[in-house]
Parts: sequence; C-alpha cells; structure tokens
Amino acid sequence: MGGSPAIEIRGLSKSYGRVQALRGVDLEVKCGEILGFLGPNGAGKTTTIRCLLDLIRPQAGTVRVLGIDPRKDPVAVRSRVGYLPGELNLEGNLTVEGVLRYFNDLRGRRVEWGYVRQLASRLDLNLSIPIKNLSKGNKQKVGLVQALMARPELLLLDEPTSGLDPLMQQEVYRLLREAQANGATVFFSSHVISEVEALADRVAIIREGVIVEEVEPGSLTDLSLRRIRVRFREPVDVKPLVELDGVSLVARDGREVTVQVEGEVDRLIKALAAFPVSDIQTQHLSLEEVFLAYYRVGEKEER
Amino acid sequence: MLAEFKHTLRRLRGPVVGWALGVALYGLLMALMFPSIKQIENLEEFMSLYPEEMTAFFENLYAMATPMGYLDVYFFAYMHLVIGILAISGGAGLLAADEERGILDLVLAHPVSRTGLFWGRFLGLAVALALILAAGWLSWVLPAGSVGFELTPFEILLPFLPLFAVLLFFAALALLLSMLVPAARSAGMLTGAVLVGNFLLIGLSNINDDLEPLMKFTPLYYYQGGLAVEGLEGSWLGGLLLAALLLAAVAWLLFLHRDIRVGGERSWVLPRIGRRFRLRQRG
Repeated sequence: MGGSPAIEIRGLSKSYGRVQALRGVDLEVKCGEILGFLGPNGAGKTTTIRCLLDLIRPQAGTVRVLGIDPRKDPVAVRSRVGYLPGELNLEGNLTVEGVLRYFNDLRGRRVEWGYVRQLASRLDLNLSIPIKNLSKGNKQKVGLVQALMARPELLLLDEPTSGLDPLMQQEVYRLLREAQANGATVFFSSHVISEVEALADRVAIIREGVIVEEVEPGSLTDLSLRRIRVRFREPVDVKPLVELDGVSLVARDGREVTVQVEGEVDRLIKALAAFPVSDIQTQHLSLEEVFLAYYRVGEKEER
Repeated sequence: MLAEFKHTLRRLRGPVVGWALGVALYGLLMALMFPSIKQIENLEEFMSLYPEEMTAFFENLYAMATPMGYLDVYFFAYMHLVIGILAISGGAGLLAADEERGILDLVLAHPVSRTGLFWGRFLGLAVALALILAAGWLSWVLPAGSVGFELTPFEILLPFLPLFAVLLFFAALALLLSMLVPAARSAGMLTGAVLVGNFLLIGLSNINDDLEPLMKFTPLYYYQGGLAVEGLEGSWLGGLLLAALLLAAVAWLLFLHRDIRVGGERSWVLPRIGRRFRLRQRG
C-alpha cells in the first residue's frame, strides 16, 4: 500500500433524479486510522460509502479505495473490504450460519470458521437461529460478523452500532479497535456525536452532500449543544445568566427558565450558584439541531 | 459465478422439488390413462361432436389416440403455461426481488462481479427448470413400456427440448422486464400476460387464417410441443434459445450499468431516459 491513503475521494457528486445527494465530496482516509463520518440523516453518508463499493455510480468525481478505482475493478476492492450496510437485510429463510457460509462462499471460502465462532461468541450471537426469527439488534450482529470475518484491510461500516444495547456497543468498539491494531482501516458513519467521539481518530462532518469540516474528536465537544431547564424557588432576574458567553435564552415560564448552552457548562453552573435553584434538567440536542445551530452561527460569522 | 449458481439452486430447492413432483405425478397419471384413450373406438366420430372451433383451437385432438398426439394434447399443449408460472416468477425475481428486499446491496458488496452474479443466477434458474422437465420426462419414460406407449426415451425427450427453450425465453423476458419496470411483480405480470395472450392467439390463428402471418412474430409460433416427437425443428429450437440468450444479454447489460437500490421499488426507467435526453438537448 505504501504511503497512499486507504480511501481517496475527489469531487464526488451524485444525484438521484432531482435530488443532489453529494455535491463534490473531497475526503481522504489514511491507512490504519479510524475515521468517523458524522452527519445528520440524509447528509450523504450512505451514498458516499456505496460509491466506494461501486454499488452506485457517481455523476462526477474520482474514488480510489486501497489504491484501486472501484469502477474499474470492483471485485478487487470488495475482496479487501468488509461492509456493513445502514439498512441491513438478509435472507430470512437461512440460519445465521447459512448466511455467513454463503458470504464465505462469495469470498472464495477464505474465512477461518473458528474466527467466525469467536466473533459470534463475543457478540452473543447464536449461529443456528433462522434470520427471520432475529431481532433488529441480533441482525445487526450478523452484519458485523460478516463484515469482520474475512479480516479485511478496510472496514466500511454504515451506522455500526445501530440497534445494539450499550454493552454490545462497547464490545463493537473493542472489536473495531482490535481490527485497527491488526492493521485495518475503519471508515464508519454515524449520526451520534458521542459514538464518533469514543471511537474515531479523526472525524469528517458531512452536511447536505458536502464535507464541511474535518476535525479531531476532542473538538466535537465544541459542537455539543445542551438545553438546560432551571426551576427557581422564587421569581428571579435571569439577565446575568443569559448574558454569559455561549448562553442564550430559549423560553421562560414563571419560575422556570430554559437556556441553550454552547460548549462547556462550567460558567453557567458557577453563575447559578448565586440563585435559589430548586431543580436542573439537562438535555443534549440531536445532531440535526446541533448542525442547525452550529452552522447558522458559522454562516453569521462568515458574513 | 459458481457460488451464485449453487446458491440459486439451493434457494430454488423447495420450488424445484414441489414442481418436479407435481409435474411427474401429472405425467405419470396421464401416461397410465393412455391405454383407456387408445381403446376408444371411433375417436374421430366422437371428436366430431365437439364444436369445430374447439378441435381447431387444440390442434391435435384427432391424433389423441397416438402416443405423439396424446403426449401433445395431454402434456405439451399447456405445460408451457403451467411451468411458465415458475419460469416467469423466477426470471422476474432473479435480481429485482432481492433488490426490493434490500438483500442485493450486501451480496454485491462481496467479491462477486455483477456479471458473475447475473449469469450465475440465470444458469441456476435454467438448471432448476431443466430438473423439473427431467422429472416430467421420467414420468412418461418409466411407465411407457407397460402402457403400450410406443415411443423410445429419446423420442419422448425431443418435445421437452422446445418446452425448455420456450420456458427459458419467458424467464429471460421476465428478467429483462424486471430491469425496466419498477417492480419484479410488474415484470412477472407483464410477461405472464404476453405468454397467455400468445397462447390464445396461437389457438385462434388455427381458427382464423388471417392471424397466421402475425403469429410468426410471436415466440409460441416456434414452440413445437408434442409434434417434436416426429422430428425436432432445430432452427426453431435454436431460435428460441438464441432469443432467450439475447433477452438475457440485454438484461445483463442494463444490470451492469445501473445503480443498485438499497431496497424498495423504483420508478419507471423509460421516463428517466426521456428526461436525460431532454437534459442533453438543453445542454
């Protein structure tokens, strides 16, 4: 592989009829890194990943996966890549083992079956159950096993922990870190900031088909927006609170005040110490709300 | 390609066993009934009681007491309609059904080429149809000696070849339509309508001579049925097989050059082509 990136995307554009899904995506994923691909629903994450496997064809732009153009040699790309789709559908009549053996056949039977059993055991997955009887979370585990079982050089995972409980999510993070330690590159999409923060070495943020930012996971905290509802014991003047840097008033209803806080909440907590507070509730905003607020601020600053 | 071929056969295992048993059982029953038909005296007189249009529609009713005529009337005259159901549903759903269910996305993310996937599956369907026909052939061959069915196994095999060719043709047509219309079931329905329509027109053309020239442009005109026992029309058989392969080849080209959907049905291709053309004109 040398020094070439695991994934190299230049000016990638893709539209579905009149809907422009990607508008010139530029992105590079280094070999051996875990890159989190963060964006709200419909931002273009899945479309980008599917272009990498030649499942869909872009209207413009170039793509190189492990140094190969997937349009020219898709089989060579796919033989070195493990893929987990965002919407996982499997043949219902087969058992878990039947599905995995079929995928192994497609890979020329080069999967070590002992490793499959080990993965299934770690994810607490029963191989003998028919797919049609599996819950969404268990189907997701089948998807993860099939993506990992050939020990691919590159993992393309679309929302890898979707439908999994928090304990299983942690196990998936461990599996992906192990894959990375064994030399694999991981490119995963998510719309959960905390997941990307926990797993990724680097984060690319996509919005409306364009990469808007490539950042370190630590700086995602800056993107973090919280909504804090404070109930006071008696009516108070909240002016000193809403004048704090990064704090804005959302609503006021009698003795209850809701504010939005950008970044760390330290200043607000210290300021609240001077008030007769009876209750505080904190709520993390969804990625869509964060994006809306964050990029609205960005646009204003640019102006 | 081999993995997909084997997988297709594995998936069709149930339908193949069911259809093979059904076709074989029917063939066996019909073969066992041959002596009673053979013994009917004055068959022509008996047939004259039927309306003329009916005897004309089913061409070989008068030859029913001969092994060839019997085989044609009781098996090959409509077996392409019966097994056609499986051929058409199999062809229409070969790729499109998996795509609609969102299965194809992950399959094609594995190291299998679209060409390998397409032809592996098509070959699997062809072999599945051949296995059903083989069961049908055996059902006539095995009791032939004991019921006085004076045809050799090879002679009985001959009409199965055009039957296979015509089934493959309609499977390929359904496959091609599944690449053009929004859903596998629409492709199946359209192809089924073509098959049934063609069957009725061929029958009507036996009554109305004016239809005869038009029939040359329809696939069932080149389907020999039981008459192949007397001699196989090689060019008709070859033509049907070639047409089936051509239809499949066009479907393959369309499959090579299009996006794979995540799931669900798609929109019509033809209006999209029209829009592309308009955009090019504007550009």
